[in-house]
Amino acid sequence: MDINLEGIRLTEEEELKRNVFTTTLDQVKAWARSHSLWPMTFGLACCAIEMMGTGGAHYDLDRFGSFFRASPRQSDVMIVAGTVTKKMGPLLRRLYDQMPEPKWVIAMGSCATAGGPYVKSYSVIKGVDQIVPVDVYIPGCPPNPAALIYGIHKLQEKIRYEAKTGKRVTNR
Amino acid sequence: MMGLIKGMGVTLKTMTKKKVTHKYPDEPIPMPDRFRGIQHLDPDQCIVCNQCARVCPTDCISLTGHKHPEKRGKVLDTFDINFEICILCDLCTEVCPTEAIVMTHQFELASYSRDDLYKNLEWLHQNNSGIRSENNVNARGVKKK
Repeated sequence: MDINLEGIRLTEEEELKRNVFTTTLDQVKAWARSHSLWPMTFGLACCAIEMMGTGGAHYDLDRFGSFFRASPRQSDVMIVAGTVTKKMGPLLRRLYDQMPEPKWVIAMGSCATAGGPYVKSYSVIKGVDQIVPVDVYIPGCPPNPAALIYGIHKLQEKIRYEAKTGKRVTNR
Repeated sequence: MMGLIKGMGVTLKTMTKKKVTHKYPDEPIPMPDRFRGIQHLDPDQCIVCNQCARVCPTDCISLTGHKHPEKRGKVLDTFDINFEICILCDLCTEVCPTEAIVMTHQFELASYSRDDLYKNLEWLHQNNSGIRSENNVNARGVKKK
Protein backbone atom coordinates (compact mmCIF):
# COMPACT_ATOMS: atom_id res chain seq x y z
CA MET A 1 0.00 0.00 0.00
CA ASP A 2 2.84 2.40 0.77
CA ILE A 3 3.98 4.66 -2.02
CA ASN A 4 7.50 6.01 -2.03
CA LEU A 5 7.20 9.79 -2.04
CA GLU A 6 10.85 10.49 -1.22
CA GLY A 7 12.24 11.80 -4.45
CA ILE A 8 9.34 13.78 -5.90
CA ARG A 9 9.73 17.37 -7.01
CA LEU A 10 7.92 20.29 -5.40
CA THR A 11 5.72 20.88 -8.45
CA GLU A 12 4.71 17.25 -8.45
CA GLU A 13 3.86 17.47 -4.78
CA GLU A 14 1.63 20.45 -5.46
CA GLU A 15 -0.01 18.52 -8.26
CA LEU A 16 -0.64 15.61 -5.90
CA LYS A 17 -2.16 17.89 -3.29
CA ARG A 18 -4.57 19.25 -5.86
CA ASN A 19 -5.60 15.94 -7.39
CA VAL A 20 -5.35 13.25 -4.75
CA PHE A 21 -8.02 13.30 -2.11
CA THR A 22 -7.48 11.34 1.07
CA THR A 23 -10.06 10.55 3.70
CA THR A 24 -10.83 7.91 6.25
CA LEU A 25 -13.32 5.15 5.68
CA ASP A 26 -15.35 6.38 8.62
CA GLN A 27 -15.74 9.79 7.04
CA VAL A 28 -16.84 8.30 3.73
CA LYS A 29 -19.34 6.17 5.58
CA ALA A 30 -20.64 9.17 7.50
CA TRP A 31 -20.86 11.20 4.30
CA ALA A 32 -22.85 8.46 2.60
CA ARG A 33 -25.09 7.93 5.62
CA SER A 34 -25.77 11.61 6.17
CA HIS A 35 -26.87 12.06 2.57
CA SER A 36 -29.24 9.13 2.51
CA LEU A 37 -31.20 9.54 5.73
CA TRP A 38 -34.38 7.63 5.12
CA PRO A 39 -37.01 8.68 7.64
CA MET A 40 -39.74 6.40 8.78
CA THR A 41 -43.29 7.43 7.94
CA PHE A 42 -44.36 7.90 11.53
CA GLY A 43 -46.80 10.73 12.09
CA LEU A 44 -48.70 10.99 15.34
CA ALA A 45 -50.40 14.40 15.26
CA CYS A 46 -50.44 17.76 13.53
CA CYS A 47 -46.63 17.80 13.17
CA ALA A 48 -47.10 14.97 10.69
CA ILE A 49 -48.97 17.37 8.40
CA GLU A 50 -45.91 19.61 8.33
CA MET A 51 -43.72 16.54 7.80
CA MET A 52 -45.86 15.58 4.79
CA GLY A 53 -45.56 19.15 3.55
CA THR A 54 -41.79 18.84 3.76
CA GLY A 55 -41.98 15.81 1.50
CA GLY A 56 -44.09 17.72 -1.02
CA ALA A 57 -42.99 19.76 -4.01
CA HIS A 58 -42.49 23.11 -2.27
CA TYR A 59 -39.86 21.95 0.20
CA ASP A 60 -38.91 18.64 -1.45
CA LEU A 61 -37.06 16.55 1.11
CA ASP A 62 -35.84 14.28 -1.73
CA ARG A 63 -33.22 16.94 -2.53
CA PHE A 64 -31.32 15.86 0.58
CA GLY A 65 -31.63 12.13 -0.12
CA SER A 66 -34.39 11.64 2.42
CA PHE A 67 -37.16 9.39 1.21
CA PHE A 68 -39.98 8.39 3.50
CA ARG A 69 -40.08 4.63 3.97
CA ALA A 70 -43.17 2.74 5.06
CA SER A 71 -41.27 0.16 7.11
CA PRO A 72 -38.99 0.61 10.12
CA ARG A 73 -36.70 -2.09 8.74
CA GLN A 74 -35.78 0.08 5.76
CA SER A 75 -35.31 3.38 7.55
CA ASP A 76 -32.41 5.13 9.28
CA VAL A 77 -34.09 7.95 11.13
CA MET A 78 -37.31 8.12 13.07
CA ILE A 79 -38.96 11.52 13.02
CA VAL A 80 -41.27 11.47 16.04
CA ALA A 81 -43.82 13.98 14.76
CA GLY A 82 -46.45 14.58 17.36
CA THR A 83 -47.82 13.80 20.78
CA VAL A 84 -46.70 10.48 22.26
CA THR A 85 -49.31 9.18 24.65
CA LYS A 86 -48.53 6.62 27.32
CA LYS A 87 -50.44 4.06 25.27
CA MET A 88 -48.25 4.78 22.22
CA GLY A 89 -44.97 4.67 24.17
CA PRO A 90 -44.28 0.90 24.03
CA LEU A 91 -45.20 0.80 20.35
CA LEU A 92 -42.79 3.64 19.64
CA ARG A 93 -40.05 1.73 21.44
CA ARG A 94 -40.83 -1.41 19.43
CA LEU A 95 -40.65 0.51 16.15
CA TYR A 96 -37.31 1.96 17.24
CA ASP A 97 -36.01 -1.50 18.09
CA GLN A 98 -37.10 -2.80 14.68
CA MET A 99 -34.96 -0.23 12.87
CA PRO A 100 -31.53 -1.49 11.76
CA GLU A 101 -28.35 0.14 13.07
CA PRO A 102 -27.18 2.87 12.61
CA LYS A 103 -30.32 4.72 13.62
CA TRP A 104 -31.19 8.20 14.74
CA VAL A 105 -34.20 9.91 16.25
CA ILE A 106 -35.48 13.43 15.64
CA ALA A 107 -38.01 14.79 18.14
CA MET A 108 -40.14 17.13 16.08
CA GLY A 109 -42.29 19.69 17.82
CA SER A 110 -42.99 20.66 21.39
CA CYS A 111 -45.00 17.53 22.18
CA ALA A 112 -42.23 15.10 21.27
CA THR A 113 -39.59 17.31 22.93
CA ALA A 114 -41.23 17.96 26.29
CA GLY A 115 -44.96 17.44 26.17
CA GLY A 116 -45.83 20.84 24.71
CA PRO A 117 -49.39 21.96 25.43
CA TYR A 118 -50.08 18.62 27.14
CA VAL A 119 -47.35 19.16 29.71
CA LYS A 120 -49.88 18.94 32.53
CA SER A 121 -51.76 15.99 31.07
CA TYR A 122 -51.97 12.61 32.78
CA SER A 123 -51.78 10.56 29.60
CA VAL A 124 -48.93 12.11 27.61
CA ILE A 125 -45.24 11.24 27.81
CA LYS A 126 -43.33 14.42 28.61
CA GLY A 127 -40.57 14.11 26.08
CA VAL A 128 -39.87 11.18 23.82
CA ASP A 129 -36.32 11.02 25.22
CA GLN A 130 -37.73 9.04 28.12
CA ILE A 131 -38.24 6.09 25.75
CA VAL A 132 -35.67 6.41 22.95
CA PRO A 133 -32.36 8.34 22.66
CA VAL A 134 -33.03 11.55 20.77
CA ASP A 135 -30.39 13.19 18.55
CA VAL A 136 -32.04 16.42 17.46
CA TYR A 137 -34.84 18.38 19.08
CA ILE A 138 -36.88 20.73 16.89
CA PRO A 139 -39.05 23.15 18.90
CA GLY A 140 -42.18 24.74 17.49
CA CYS A 141 -45.86 23.97 17.50
CA PRO A 142 -45.66 22.67 14.85
CA PRO A 143 -42.26 23.54 13.36
CA ASN A 144 -42.70 24.69 9.79
CA PRO A 145 -41.21 22.54 6.99
CA ALA A 146 -38.13 24.76 6.76
CA ALA A 147 -37.45 24.19 10.48
CA LEU A 148 -37.66 20.43 9.89
CA ILE A 149 -35.19 20.73 7.02
CA TYR A 150 -32.93 22.72 9.36
CA GLY A 151 -33.20 19.95 11.95
CA ILE A 152 -32.35 17.26 9.39
CA HIS A 153 -29.32 19.30 8.36
CA LYS A 154 -28.34 19.54 12.00
CA LEU A 155 -28.47 15.73 12.22
CA GLN A 156 -26.37 15.35 9.05
CA GLU A 157 -23.84 17.74 10.58
CA LYS A 158 -23.77 15.65 13.74
CA ILE A 159 -23.18 12.38 11.86
CA ARG A 160 -20.28 13.89 9.91
CA TYR A 161 -18.82 15.62 12.98
CA GLU A 162 -18.82 12.42 14.99
CA ALA A 163 -17.04 10.53 12.21
CA LYS A 164 -14.51 13.30 11.67
CA THR A 165 -13.47 13.90 15.25
CA GLY A 166 -14.37 10.59 16.87
CA LYS A 167 -16.10 12.57 19.62
CA ARG A 168 -19.72 12.17 20.45
CA VAL A 169 -22.08 15.10 20.29
CA THR A 170 -23.60 14.63 23.70
CA ASN A 171 -26.89 16.02 24.77
CA ARG A 172 -25.48 16.72 28.23
CA MET B 1 -49.57 4.73 -27.00
CA MET B 2 -52.16 7.43 -26.35
CA GLY B 3 -51.27 7.37 -22.65
CA LEU B 4 -47.59 7.90 -23.39
CA ILE B 5 -48.32 10.94 -25.56
CA LYS B 6 -50.62 12.33 -22.87
CA GLY B 7 -47.94 11.83 -20.23
CA MET B 8 -45.27 13.44 -22.34
CA GLY B 9 -47.64 16.35 -22.96
CA VAL B 10 -47.87 16.98 -19.22
CA THR B 11 -44.08 16.70 -18.91
CA LEU B 12 -43.47 19.19 -21.70
CA LYS B 13 -46.07 21.60 -20.36
CA THR B 14 -44.59 21.68 -16.86
CA MET B 15 -41.03 21.92 -18.19
CA THR B 16 -41.41 25.56 -19.13
CA LYS B 17 -43.29 26.55 -15.97
CA LYS B 18 -41.72 28.28 -12.98
CA LYS B 19 -40.23 25.88 -10.43
CA VAL B 20 -42.18 25.60 -7.19
CA THR B 21 -39.41 24.25 -4.95
CA HIS B 22 -37.84 26.66 -2.47
CA LYS B 23 -34.05 26.43 -2.37
CA TYR B 24 -34.32 26.62 1.38
CA PRO B 25 -30.88 26.12 2.93
CA ASP B 26 -29.25 28.15 0.14
CA GLU B 27 -31.82 30.93 0.07
CA PRO B 28 -33.77 32.14 3.10
CA ILE B 29 -37.52 31.62 3.00
CA PRO B 30 -39.55 34.83 3.17
CA MET B 31 -42.08 34.30 5.95
CA PRO B 32 -45.45 36.04 6.10
CA ASP B 33 -45.47 39.06 8.38
CA ARG B 34 -47.66 37.51 11.06
CA PHE B 35 -45.52 34.34 11.19
CA ARG B 36 -44.92 33.24 14.78
CA GLY B 37 -41.29 32.47 15.49
CA ILE B 38 -39.40 32.76 18.76
CA GLN B 39 -39.99 35.93 20.77
CA HIS B 40 -37.84 39.04 20.99
CA LEU B 41 -37.71 40.85 24.31
CA ASP B 42 -36.87 44.47 25.05
CA PRO B 43 -36.01 44.57 28.78
CA ASP B 44 -36.23 48.39 28.91
CA GLN B 45 -39.86 48.34 27.77
CA CYS B 46 -40.94 45.65 30.23
CA ILE B 47 -42.85 46.92 33.27
CA VAL B 48 -42.93 43.53 35.07
CA CYS B 49 -46.71 43.34 35.02
CA ASN B 50 -46.54 39.52 34.87
CA GLN B 51 -49.40 39.35 32.38
CA CYS B 52 -47.44 37.25 29.87
CA ALA B 53 -46.53 34.69 32.54
CA ARG B 54 -50.14 34.50 33.68
CA VAL B 55 -51.70 34.20 30.25
CA CYS B 56 -49.23 31.56 29.00
CA PRO B 57 -51.21 28.31 28.54
CA THR B 58 -48.18 26.11 29.28
CA ASP B 59 -46.62 28.34 31.97
CA CYS B 60 -43.33 28.46 30.10
CA ILE B 61 -42.53 32.11 30.95
CA SER B 62 -41.01 33.04 34.29
CA LEU B 63 -39.83 36.53 35.19
CA THR B 64 -38.65 38.48 38.19
CA GLY B 65 -38.17 42.17 38.84
CA HIS B 66 -37.48 44.66 41.56
CA LYS B 67 -38.81 48.11 42.43
CA HIS B 68 -37.29 51.03 40.55
CA PRO B 69 -34.98 52.87 43.00
CA GLU B 70 -36.15 56.39 42.03
CA LYS B 71 -39.44 56.41 40.15
CA ARG B 72 -42.63 54.39 40.28
CA GLY B 73 -42.78 51.01 38.62
CA LYS B 74 -40.50 48.03 38.40
CA VAL B 75 -37.30 46.95 36.63
CA LEU B 76 -36.89 43.55 35.00
CA ASP B 77 -34.25 41.25 36.50
CA THR B 78 -34.68 37.91 34.80
CA PHE B 79 -36.91 36.69 32.01
CA ASP B 80 -36.87 33.07 30.92
CA ILE B 81 -38.85 31.23 28.29
CA ASN B 82 -38.76 27.47 28.45
CA PHE B 83 -38.96 27.09 24.68
CA GLU B 84 -39.34 23.31 24.94
CA ILE B 85 -42.98 23.74 25.83
CA CYS B 86 -43.69 27.13 24.24
CA ILE B 87 -46.45 26.53 21.71
CA LEU B 88 -46.04 29.91 19.97
CA CYS B 89 -49.66 30.84 20.61
CA ASP B 90 -48.85 34.57 20.46
CA LEU B 91 -50.85 35.28 23.65
CA CYS B 92 -47.86 36.79 25.51
CA THR B 93 -47.29 39.32 22.75
CA GLU B 94 -51.02 40.05 22.43
CA VAL B 95 -51.36 40.78 26.13
CA CYS B 96 -48.17 42.80 26.57
CA PRO B 97 -49.17 46.44 27.22
CA THR B 98 -45.81 47.94 26.21
CA GLU B 99 -44.89 45.55 23.38
CA ALA B 100 -41.78 44.54 25.24
CA ILE B 101 -42.22 40.99 24.00
CA VAL B 102 -42.84 40.56 20.28
CA MET B 103 -42.73 37.75 17.75
CA THR B 104 -39.92 37.35 15.22
CA HIS B 105 -39.52 35.28 12.07
CA GLN B 106 -36.75 33.17 13.58
CA PHE B 107 -37.51 29.45 13.35
CA GLU B 108 -34.07 27.82 13.01
CA LEU B 109 -33.91 26.55 16.57
CA ALA B 110 -33.19 22.83 16.30
CA SER B 111 -30.61 21.71 18.85
CA TYR B 112 -28.83 18.62 20.13
CA SER B 113 -29.82 19.30 23.70
CA ARG B 114 -32.99 20.22 25.52
CA ASP B 115 -31.00 22.61 27.69
CA ASP B 116 -30.29 24.83 24.70
CA LEU B 117 -34.00 25.45 24.33
CA TYR B 118 -34.18 27.26 27.67
CA LYS B 119 -33.91 30.88 26.56
CA ASN B 120 -32.91 33.61 28.99
CA LEU B 121 -33.16 37.41 28.93
CA GLU B 122 -29.86 38.00 27.08
CA TRP B 123 -30.68 35.53 24.34
CA LEU B 124 -34.18 36.90 23.82
CA HIS B 125 -32.88 40.46 23.73
CA GLN B 126 -30.24 39.55 21.15
CA ASN B 127 -32.82 37.80 18.98
CA ASN B 128 -33.87 40.94 17.14
CA SER B 129 -33.96 39.99 13.45
CA GLY B 130 -37.22 39.77 11.54
CA ILE B 131 -39.48 41.32 14.15
CA ARG B 132 -43.11 41.50 13.08
CA SER B 133 -43.44 44.88 11.38
CA GLU B 134 -46.60 46.03 13.16
CA ASN B 135 -44.78 45.60 16.47
CA ASN B 136 -41.41 46.88 15.34
CA VAL B 137 -41.23 50.26 17.02
CA ASN B 138 -37.88 51.03 15.46
CA ALA B 139 -39.15 50.44 11.94
CA ARG B 140 -42.09 52.78 12.45
CA GLY B 141 -39.89 55.42 14.04
CA VAL B 142 -42.27 55.89 16.96
CA LYS B 143 -41.15 54.87 20.39
CA LYS B 144 -44.05 53.78 22.52
CA LYS B 145 -44.28 54.95 26.11
